[in-house]
Amino acid sequence: MRLLATVAALGLALVLTLLVFGLPVADSLRLLGEGAFGDKFGISRTLAKATPLLLTGLGMVIAWRAGMYNIGGEGQLIVGAIGGAAVAAALMGKVVGPVLNPLILAAAMAAGAMWSGFAGWLQVARGVPAVISTILLNFVAIQLLAWTVQGPLRRSDGGLPQTVPLPADTMLLKFDRQLDLHFGLVIAVVAVLLVTAFLYGTRSGFRLRLVGASPTAARANRIPSERVAIGSMMLSGALCGLAGGVEYTGITGTLGTGFPQGWGFLAIPVALLGGLHPLGVLLSGLYFGALFAGSENLARFSTGGTTLIYVIQAAAVLAVVALAPRAKPAKIKEAAA
Amino acid sequence: MTPILRLREVSKAYGPTVALDRVSIDFAPNEVHAVLGENGAGKSTLMNIIAGFVAPDSGEGTLRDLPLPFGRPFEARRRGIAMVHQHFALVPAFSAAENLSLANLRSPWQTHRPVRDAGHSLALAEQLGWKVEPDRLTQDLPVGVQQRLEILKALSSDAEVVIFDEPTAVLTPDEVEDLFRVIRELKDRGRTIILIAHKLSEVMAIADRVTVLRRGAFVATAPITDVDADQLATWMVGEVPGTRTPVSASFEPGLRVTDLHVRGSRGEHAVRGVSFAIGKGEILGIGGVDGNGQVELAEALARVRPTAAGSIYLTGCDLEEANLAYIPQDRQSDGLALSMSIRDNLLITGHRRRELTRGPFLRRRAIERWTGDLVDRFQIKVGSVRDPVSSLSGGNQQKVVVARSLDQIPDLLIAVNPTRGLDVRATDYVHSQIVAAADAGAVVALFSTDRDELAALAHRTVFLSRGQLTDHLVGGDA
Repeated sequence: MRLLATVAALGLALVLTLLVFGLPVADSLRLLGEGAFGDKFGISRTLAKATPLLLTGLGMVIAWRAGMYNIGGEGQLIVGAIGGAAVAAALMGKVVGPVLNPLILAAAMAAGAMWSGFAGWLQVARGVPAVISTILLNFVAIQLLAWTVQGPLRRSDGGLPQTVPLPADTMLLKFDRQLDLHFGLVIAVVAVLLVTAFLYGTRSGFRLRLVGASPTAARANRIPSERVAIGSMMLSGALCGLAGGVEYTGITGTLGTGFPQGWGFLAIPVALLGGLHPLGVLLSGLYFGALFAGSENLARFSTGGTTLIYVIQAAAVLAVVALAPRAKPAKIKEAAA
Repeated sequence: MTPILRLREVSKAYGPTVALDRVSIDFAPNEVHAVLGENGAGKSTLMNIIAGFVAPDSGEGTLRDLPLPFGRPFEARRRGIAMVHQHFALVPAFSAAENLSLANLRSPWQTHRPVRDAGHSLALAEQLGWKVEPDRLTQDLPVGVQQRLEILKALSSDAEVVIFDEPTAVLTPDEVEDLFRVIRELKDRGRTIILIAHKLSEVMAIADRVTVLRRGAFVATAPITDVDADQLATWMVGEVPGTRTPVSASFEPGLRVTDLHVRGSRGEHAVRGVSFAIGKGEILGIGGVDGNGQVELAEALARVRPTAAGSIYLTGCDLEEANLAYIPQDRQSDGLALSMSIRDNLLITGHRRRELTRGPFLRRRAIERWTGDLVDRFQIKVGSVRDPVSSLSGGNQQKVVVARSLDQIPDLLIAVNPTRGLDVRATDYVHSQIVAAADAGAVVALFSTDRDELAALAHRTVFLSRGQLTDHLVGGDA
C-alpha cells in the first residue's frame, strides 16, 4: 500500500514536471525509459549511476537513524577518494593491482569515517550540531581536493591538475569493456544487505535505532548514547568514503577537481525516499540511477534534460515525504496534577 | 462578604483519571485564599480552569455574577483573572523589559520600544519595592527575579484575581519573605489572591482562608484561624490505612546505601547524604512531595545518573552486573521509544538477555517466542507486536515497561510512580507484579507520591524531603 502510494506519487511528480517544462509527456517518458532500460547500455548506465547513490544513501540511513543529521555525505565521499588516492600514490608499482584495490577502498572508508567521526565528536563533546559541521566540512573537503590534485598528488607529467591514472589492473572489475558497469555494484548491494542485517539483526544496530528514536529512553536504560552517536557517524562516513573509493577505482581512475558529482548530496533524497530503510534505499537508489541515465538520453533530444532531473528529484522527494504517514501522537495524555 | 468568584460542581477527567470531581468553592475580595492538596489532588487543574486554560467537563463558574469564560484564557485575562505559572513563560534571551512588554503588546504597526511598552510594569515594580534592571537578559537573572517578572506580567492588566501556582517552590527563604510581603500588599489593594501550595507552614503564615482538595474532591474550606497544621494534614492525606504486612526484621540483607549524594540535572544538590537498607524481598516505600530528590535517587540506584559521593552496595552481586529493573516515572519519554514497535520496546531489556542473543547478533526466533510469551503472561492487549507502542493505551504501555523489566526476577527493582495516570485495573495489575517480584526475593525501592500506594505495598516507608530522608512526612513539607 505504502509502496503503491509512493510509486503513484513519483509518477505524478514526473508527469507534472514534464508538463511544467512544456515537454511532450508521452515522448519524454519514452526517451527516459529507453535511456534507462532500453538496451544493455541503458541498464548499465542506470546501475553504474545507482552504485554510489546506494552507498551514500546507506550512509545517510545509518546516521539519521541514530538521530545524527549528517549532511556531509559529499565531503566524506571526497575525503574518502582522497584517502584512496593517497594510498594509491604511495603503493602504486609496489603492490599488484588486485591487492592494491582493496587497500584503496579500505583507506577510503577510513578517511570518510574520520571526517564524519570528527563531526560526530563535535556534536557530542562540544555541542556543535552535526547538521552545521558536516555542511561546513563539505566545503573544506572540496578545497582539500583542489589542493591535493594541484599539489601533493598532482601527476608529474604536467598535464591537467589531477592524480596519476590508476593502471587497469588496479581498477574494479568490469563485466563488459564497453560498459560503465563495474564490480562496485556488487559491493553496494552487499552493503545494503549488511546494513539491513546490522540495523535489524544485531544488538548494536538495535541500540543505534533506539538512541535515534528516543535519546531519553536510551539514557534511562543505560545505553551509552554518545558512543552510539559517534559510532553511527563513523559508519556513515565510512560508507560515503567507500562510495568515493568505488567511484574512483570504478569509473574515473583519477581524481581532479571535477571528481565530485554530487552523489553525497543526492544521498539525502535517496535515503528519505527510501524511508530511511536500507531496502528502501535499494529501490530509491535504482530509481534515481534510472532517472539519471534516462535524462541523459532525454537531454540529447531536448533542452533542459539534465536540469529537469533535479526538478523531478525535488518534486518526487517532497511528494513522497509529504505523503508519508506521520507518527501518531500518544493517545492518552498524562493526567495533570 | 460577597464572593467575587464562585465555582459550582466543577468536574474534569483526563481519560480514565478523574482530576476534579464536583468541586464548589467561593473566593472573596481582599483575601488570600490557599488551595491545598497533595500531588494529583487537582489543584493545578482547578486553577487552569479558573484562568481559562482548561475547560471543565461540567459545572459552572461566575466572576462578579457573570459566567466565567471557560477554555478562553485571553478572555479570562481580559476580565481580570491572571495567573503566575509555576513554570515561567519568559523568553530567556529577551531583556527584562522585552519580556514585560510582551504582556502589553500594541498594534503590530506601532514601533516596539520595550522600555516604553513595559513602563507600566516597571512603575509597578517600583511601587512594590522591587529593583528591576530593564536591560538585563532574563536568562542572567536569579530565579526569584524571574518570578517577579512573571508577577509583573500578570499584574499588568490590573487583574482582580491573581492565581499563584506553587510560587515558593523555587525561592530562597528571603525571597519567600519578600513574595509574601507583596502578596499582602496586593490583598490590601483589594485583589483576590489564590495561592496553590503544599507547604503547610507557608499557608499558615499567609492565608486568610484555606480550601483542601484530596484526589480531585473538595474536602473543606475554613478560615485559617479555625484550623491548625495537623488538621490540614489530616484533611490532605485522609486517614492512613495500615501497612500491608507488619514490619518484620526477617529479611536477608540486600541493598545498602550509605551517605549517598547525587546531583540534579542543573548541578544542584538533589540528594544530600541518604543512607538506608532494603532487604531481599522487602518493599521500601519512598514517599514525599515531588521534586525532593526522588527522581535523582532512583536514577542513581538504577545506574542512570552518576553519584557524587557515597556508596551503593548490593549483597551477593556486583551492581554493574546485577539484574536491575527500572520503571521510570516518565513512561512516555524515559520508559518507551514511542515511535518504535512493541517488540523493539520489549527488546530494550531483551537485547541484553543472553538467551536472546548470540555474540553481537539478535536471535530472531528466540525473540519472537519471548515477546509472544510476555504479551500472554502480562496480558498486554496488542494487535501485533510490530505495531508502534504509541498505538497502545496508557495502561498497556506501562505493561510493556513492566513486562520487559519483570520477565525475570530482578536483583533490584526501582519503580517511580509506576501507576501514575493508570486506571484502577491497570494499577492493581502493576501492584500485583511488584509484590510478586518482592515475594520472589527482589529488593524493591518503590518511589511514590501516592500515600495509599505506599500503604498498600510497602513494608516500610520513608520520606524524602529536600534530598534527605525522614521517617515520616514532616508537617512543614506536606
